[in-house]
Amino acid sequence: MPKRVLLANRGEIALRVQRSCRELGIETVAVYSEADRDALHVRNADAAVLIGPGPATQSYLVIDNIIEAARETGADAVHPGYGFLSENPAFAEACEAAGITFIGPPASAMQAMGDKVQARRLMESAGVPVVPGAEDIDPQNVGHARAEAERIGFPLLVKAASGGGGRGIRIVESIDELEDAMRVSGTEAAAAFGDATIFLEKYVSPARHVEVQVMADAHGNVRAFGERECSIQRRRQKLIEEAPSVAVDPDLRARLCDVAVTAARSCGYRNAGTVEFLLGEDGEFYFLEMNARLQVEHPVTEFVYGVDLVALQLAIAAGEPLPEDAGLPQPHGWAIEARINAENAYANFAPSFGIVHRVEPPLGPGVRFDSMLFDGLDVPVFYDSLLGKLIVWAEDRPAAIERLRRALQDLLVAGIDTNAPFHLALLDHPDYVSGAVDTGWLEREFEMPPPAEDDPSEVTALIAAALASGLGGGRGSSANGAAGAPGRGWALAGRSDALGARVRHAEGRGWRSGIGSS
Amino acid sequence: MAKRHRLLVGGEERTVVLDSAPGGGAETLVTIDEAEPIAIDVDAAELPGFVAFRIGGVTRRAYVARDGASFDVTVGSRRFQIQQVTGSGRGRGVVGGAEDAPGEISSPLAGVVVEVRVAPGDELEAGTTVLVLEAMKMQNEVLIPLEGTVTAVHVNARDSVEQGQLLIEYAPAEAEE
Repeated sequence: MPKRVLLANRGEIALRVQRSCRELGIETVAVYSEADRDALHVRNADAAVLIGPGPATQSYLVIDNIIEAARETGADAVHPGYGFLSENPAFAEACEAAGITFIGPPASAMQAMGDKVQARRLMESAGVPVVPGAEDIDPQNVGHARAEAERIGFPLLVKAASGGGGRGIRIVESIDELEDAMRVSGTEAAAAFGDATIFLEKYVSPARHVEVQVMADAHGNVRAFGERECSIQRRRQKLIEEAPSVAVDPDLRARLCDVAVTAARSCGYRNAGTVEFLLGEDGEFYFLEMNARLQVEHPVTEFVYGVDLVALQLAIAAGEPLPEDAGLPQPHGWAIEARINAENAYANFAPSFGIVHRVEPPLGPGVRFDSMLFDGLDVPVFYDSLLGKLIVWAEDRPAAIERLRRALQDLLVAGIDTNAPFHLALLDHPDYVSGAVDTGWLEREFEMPPPAEDDPSEVTALIAAALASGLGGGRGSSANGAAGAPGRGWALAGRSDALGARVRHAEGRGWRSGIGSS
Repeated sequence: MAKRHRLLVGGEERTVVLDSAPGGGAETLVTIDEAEPIAIDVDAAELPGFVAFRIGGVTRRAYVARDGASFDVTVGSRRFQIQQVTGSGRGRGVVGGAEDAPGEISSPLAGVVVEVRVAPGDELEAGTTVLVLEAMKMQNEVLIPLEGTVTAVHVNARDSVEQGQLLIEYAPAEAEE
């Protein structure tokens, strides 16, 4: 096992990795940007190194600074988390060159899976079903592209070989749209990834997004840990993930796992990875891509397979073999994860930034909350909107849905907006409850309902504001309510404040009651 | 003694009157707009930010953060931006005076400057709107807290500003107190 692991990440995933490390007696080193000075992953680490300003391109994406931080603090291994440098082969190579263990796959496997054209070819030769398509597309040879498009059939997708996050993808409904789509996709991909290579793929729709967790050790053992269902997506961003999937029976699960293991073996994979599939309505499935990292949604697998995937990652990186019994044949119970994002569900999911005044995490049986939230957190504008993940486990899916609803109701985040109202509305939707969803369902069928007419929350809020602004009657007072978040304008209006105590702050920038009265 | 609060929520002005219950009981009478008064029993817990009360035994709780005349109220998974309407009934989203040092006006919120209404040399009365700031999809008027003459304007329309960022400097008028 490593002795000191540097976490080349931030937010909830840095905390997640830290927790497993501490259970294993491994020290952790945090790296942080100027915007993350007060972050929990910094506070909880054994050592912490500032690596640059807020923008990720000047901090969390600067390989040299991170390697230097590892050297400085004597870290013998690096965990990349997800996003940032996690799938960057140059980073894995730089770690190895510096004599630091990279907790993830070899650079060669990342490269093979990072190029989607190369990955498709590799999978085809390994006998893994890929979406019908054409890889040898030359933007100059339109005649050939048209012939291939006719062979595949419409609608089809033009995709970028180096694409990711939905960029460089165009839907083509008919042959007339092909040339335009090829040009746009190629240009977009060249700008975003520096590679204009494109390919064609049949548009399998409607389809579910189903993915299989794999773990591979250095001794040739590859195990699959069942599937995750991730079809609830907006703009290709997953919002809810489940394990298992309502669409997968034990027979299909066995076949998916089998193919996922084959896919991992074919590229010499090591450590944690995820093989993504499209699952059509007819039960046919196709390889989509392989993510060479720990996924955001890994906790649902941990719940139903009773495993700590990060602990396994650390053991594999240390050269230990996978335990004999790793990877149960069937999942136990049902797990659902809701991504809690800093977004306003009632304002077209606009991002929400600012100070979190108060957090009350949901607790109780079968509830896990992996989150970067704490009282006083200033949500930085530089990174994605993921605040945390609320994950629940129960004996079956209906019970898991009820538990998630309860936990969402228990979650309180004051000061910024979260998408919790969206999740609550989703859990009420009959299609979600029955599981009749596909990757297009959310954007096609779901509309955020406005708050109920008889929702008593507004009345509660009005009364609370009136009480906080000075309760009629004037019962005693204390200085309690005057405690503001340090250095910020907002003061926490407590009972004493409600009773007329003046809101004042230690620092001179705060605002207080109206100008007219002073 | 009844106390009347004019509060803006969701673009609508609401009136909330708080009064002691007749007979001097522990309850508070609440009248919202023209509705029948309701008796509430306010929780005595002195936790900063928490407001809890019962209506006919049904518990209600909220988390309130206050910034001058603005209240950020969280009830369950919903969040409300509530503005106190001051005596003059100035327009919606008015942000009250700052605890800035005299001569400086800093930004009360992180947001985007929508409009700058003053220029250096302008002589202003206390309470004049100097600029309009959009934050959280609400327009907030930023007021000069004292009478004075603008000496410097540090922002332009469409600039993004941080909370606490210096917006305007002015020379306060002399001999006011």
